[in-house]
Amino acid sequence: MMLLRLLTLPYVRKHLLRTGLTIAGVALGVLVFVGMRTANDSVLYGFQQTVDRIAGKAQLQITSGEGGFPEEVLERVQAMEEINIAVPVIEAQVKTGLQGQGNILILAVDMTGDRSLRSYDIEEGEDAVVDDPLVFLAQPDSIILTREFAQQNNLSVGSKVSFDTMVGPKSFTVRGIMKPGGLASAFGGNLAVMDIYAAQHVFGRGRSFDRIDLTLKEGIALDQGRQAIEKLLGAGYQVEAPSQRGKQFETISKLFAVAASLNSLFALLIGLFIIYNTFSIAVAQRRSEIGIARALGATRAQIRNLFLLESALLGLTGSLTGIAGGLIMAKGMASYIGQFLGDLYGVAQHTEGLALNPQTLLLAVGVGVLTSMVAAWIPARDAARIDPVKALHKGSYESITASENRWRLVTATAFVGIAAFCLVTGGTSGPKLYVGYFSVVAASVLATPILVRALILGLRPLLRLVLPVEGALAADSLMQSPRRTSATVAAVMLSLSLVVGLGGIADASYASILDWVESVVNPDLFVGTNEQISERSFRFPASLGDEIRKLDLVDEVQTVRSTRVNYRGTPVMLVAIPMLQVQGRIKPKVVAGPANVFEAAAKEGGVVLGDNLALLQNLNVGDMMEISSPSGVLRLPITGIAIDYTDQLGAILIDRSLYLKHWKDETANLFRVYLKKGVTPEAGKQQILMRFGSQNRLFVMTNRQLRDYIVKVTDQWFGLTYMQIFVAVLVATLGIVNSLTVSITDRRRELGVLQAVGGLRRQVRQAIWMEAAGIGLVSVILGLALGGLILYYYLGIIREDMAGIRLEYVYPVKIALLLAPTMLAVSWLSALGPGESAVRASLVEALEYE
Amino acid sequence: MSKLALLLATAAVAAAQDARQIMQDMQNRQKSDSQRYQGWLRVADAKNKITEKRWTYDRIGTAGQSKVVIRFTEPAEVKGVALRVVNHPDRASDQWMWTPSLQRDRRIAFQDRSTRFFGTDFSFEDLEERDVDQYDYKLLGSERVAGKECWKVESRPKKTKPSQYTHGHIWVEKDRLVILQIESFKGDNLIRRIKYTDYQNVQKIWTPFQIEVEDIGRKSRTTLRTEKLEYNVPMKDDRFTLQALRRES
Repeated sequence: MMLLRLLTLPYVRKHLLRTGLTIAGVALGVLVFVGMRTANDSVLYGFQQTVDRIAGKAQLQITSGEGGFPEEVLERVQAMEEINIAVPVIEAQVKTGLQGQGNILILAVDMTGDRSLRSYDIEEGEDAVVDDPLVFLAQPDSIILTREFAQQNNLSVGSKVSFDTMVGPKSFTVRGIMKPGGLASAFGGNLAVMDIYAAQHVFGRGRSFDRIDLTLKEGIALDQGRQAIEKLLGAGYQVEAPSQRGKQFETISKLFAVAASLNSLFALLIGLFIIYNTFSIAVAQRRSEIGIARALGATRAQIRNLFLLESALLGLTGSLTGIAGGLIMAKGMASYIGQFLGDLYGVAQHTEGLALNPQTLLLAVGVGVLTSMVAAWIPARDAARIDPVKALHKGSYESITASENRWRLVTATAFVGIAAFCLVTGGTSGPKLYVGYFSVVAASVLATPILVRALILGLRPLLRLVLPVEGALAADSLMQSPRRTSATVAAVMLSLSLVVGLGGIADASYASILDWVESVVNPDLFVGTNEQISERSFRFPASLGDEIRKLDLVDEVQTVRSTRVNYRGTPVMLVAIPMLQVQGRIKPKVVAGPANVFEAAAKEGGVVLGDNLALLQNLNVGDMMEISSPSGVLRLPITGIAIDYTDQLGAILIDRSLYLKHWKDETANLFRVYLKKGVTPEAGKQQILMRFGSQNRLFVMTNRQLRDYIVKVTDQWFGLTYMQIFVAVLVATLGIVNSLTVSITDRRRELGVLQAVGGLRRQVRQAIWMEAAGIGLVSVILGLALGGLILYYYLGIIREDMAGIRLEYVYPVKIALLLAPTMLAVSWLSALGPGESAVRASLVEALEYE
Repeated sequence: MSKLALLLATAAVAAAQDARQIMQDMQNRQKSDSQRYQGWLRVADAKNKITEKRWTYDRIGTAGQSKVVIRFTEPAEVKGVALRVVNHPDRASDQWMWTPSLQRDRRIAFQDRSTRFFGTDFSFEDLEERDVDQYDYKLLGSERVAGKECWKVESRPKKTKPSQYTHGHIWVEKDRLVILQIESFKGDNLIRRIKYTDYQNVQKIWTPFQIEVEDIGRKSRTTLRTEKLEYNVPMKDDRFTLQALRRES
């Protein structure tokens, strides 16, 4: 403690900025880690809260994918000996039309029996209205709202409120208001209860239910009840406790979590170099103090432990700062992710605050402190080895010995060898892909000092050409401090490689998606129930397609029904299309199977898989696929695999006739409309809207509008990637700022001497600028090169473990061209402040520094 | 000892047979091929807030094999809502509800029979016809109710007739063999008390013109007044189908 007080505290007080920048190095990594994980946990928690509150006393819930099942299933379940209460449920998210309210979750139930399962604490209204379901049932416009929602919108019993329905916005009458808590707090209080049979009508659900909630008779164990129901209904149905429903959601949110974890660890790795750099310089600057302490009896272990303790404290401060920042970030991110998942996957969740996971916070502190201590280990060890007698000698400590260089070269070569071995021996998937990835990163980091030296040697003539004296000074200064220079370059290189990798993924994704859109999204118009094609709360009767087909401007209508089904625990998208019709109009990019992939599937009664699903689930043409349907488990042959980006979790395309036969659902989500030759999309759109717009809730999008929508969804998806790119650039900037601040301040004495022997301020200033530019340039060269390699591995990880999408390797030239000048500018700007401070400082002070 | 046991057993069987006979005689006296009346429901909750509804009641067939259609006529917001009950001699009844505004019927699940009948203090189960053969009876003795000498009979549903109630106590007036009061229990807890009053002789059938149901837990009370009662009205079976509900809504 005494050493801490004598050696550390005065140093920290003197170098507050440097200390702050070092803490920021850890904080940024922890921020990304905590922010993304907490946002994910909060979204998941919000979903589970909604499920639990809506489930009420339900012990089990029966579903059959997203498409629901016929009403008759309810009677079969209710007739079972094991069942106490079984009630039907329909859930739908609809727009409220009220300013600032967004979506509301409609919980549609059969009020004759549902109150046995859920408690509707009615606060207001006549008892005869809410306690008596008769009026509620007799008037299909009846709804019950929560107090929170009612208060926010000035509503009371008898008020009218408008929601979207299949027949356009419809006015509902408030017949009851629920007290807060329990069911009323589900979906953040944005909940309305209505009669299930009215909901079938207004949401176009036909005679089907989404779910059955049930309780078992006393003495019947949960497993026993579940098995009995599964035996009765067959494998086409999922019977699970409400608490299990979060697992499906986890599958979806995993896509975010994996990417976020990888990138936050990468950010911490970058932070590690920043800390290493800071501690190397700190040890160097305190050589004399360390020497004196050693001479006065401090042991080597004490000195080493002192620096490790310092690093632990810095790590702890950085972690706590990162946690605070991460939680702020998580708050914004949770809404973003929740909204995105809600829009894209139709998941009913409402993030109601942050779900703080103590494990995440402890892990963050642990990782932050550990990273800091690992980074400080070598400087601490060096500090402990300082000979008290040589303590006042300056310079040699910054060099890298020939033996260390050899060791680095050999180890880096070994890692390159491992990466090459993995690549040659099928390292495009599985553990070898990850081993290859880490080997490349390790080799790059180990080889950084050697590469930096080589590059600076190469740059020296160029720098001299620009400014002979200042250029030579700058190059020599960089080479004389190889540890400091290479640690800075390593931090910036890693940041830039992350930017190139992430940017490359985004570029490749856009290119592939647009290519797919070009090949399959070719109808003139799309008629959907919502402006978001992915929204599936409302459905059209199939007869609407026939009606549209009769319009004189319309040439052909293809009816599409998409719904989620559970395949091997993943909620994948089942898309039912008239395959023969579709084959005649589009040319899908077939990965496996015959070129006329849809025609073949229609004739053979098979399925066409999206390439991503085939990759993720390791499925091939000829395999039999087991798909759960309300009629039981279907065994269908895979007759083809095609590129398909309909859904990130994968799509199964089947012929509409198969869907009608086994799902007994004639509704549709979307009509693909081809117009007659010469008819403009606008004219076709107008005719459809004029004919059907007033009677039906329908949205007509032109081909261009749909393409724009797809790009918008892709933008939303990559919103998180861009945020990570931003953090990576920020870390790179921080690395440069930290390094140059430390480096210039460290050399104030040297710079003072330079001025004392006749160097002009201008010359010193320009030497500092060139040094900064040198570091920036070397970092950019190495970062862009490593980014190119990392992109290869990222594409592999996306293909094999995340999305199953085969993205073509295209180096993100635009990003690289943007990064180079940006980082050079950042380097120069970083050097401005410390440089100016150094050249303007009094010579006496500068010479007395240290 | 064995003689005493035999005597007791014989007495118990005799008592059970007597109780069943009382119930059977009572059912026989009230037998009619059909029934029609207009009902006036008045519900008073624990705070004495009053709500009223009116319905028409049609029945065809006799105990345990009858079909019933109840149509609400007032207030305006429930007009046309109908309930169809098909009673079975050997099991619980089937019930459907018709909602004219949605133009569709819905089946009332057996599990929902214990819930209140549209805000009244009757449960859906209370609307079922009670056939004598669906219960086991035991004569508990004699008691006076509303100044009349009554048999007190315990009824317990048979396994084939699952019920929300474990048992009930029925007071049958000895002179006219009509029910004056029923108390329905779940275990030891009294759930509902139904009082039958204002008996009038209509076409030689003693009929209560007022039925008062008390929900003991909720402390609320529903009174059903009967008006324009007729027995053995000519009715066709096809008026009691789901199609007829749709047609006549």
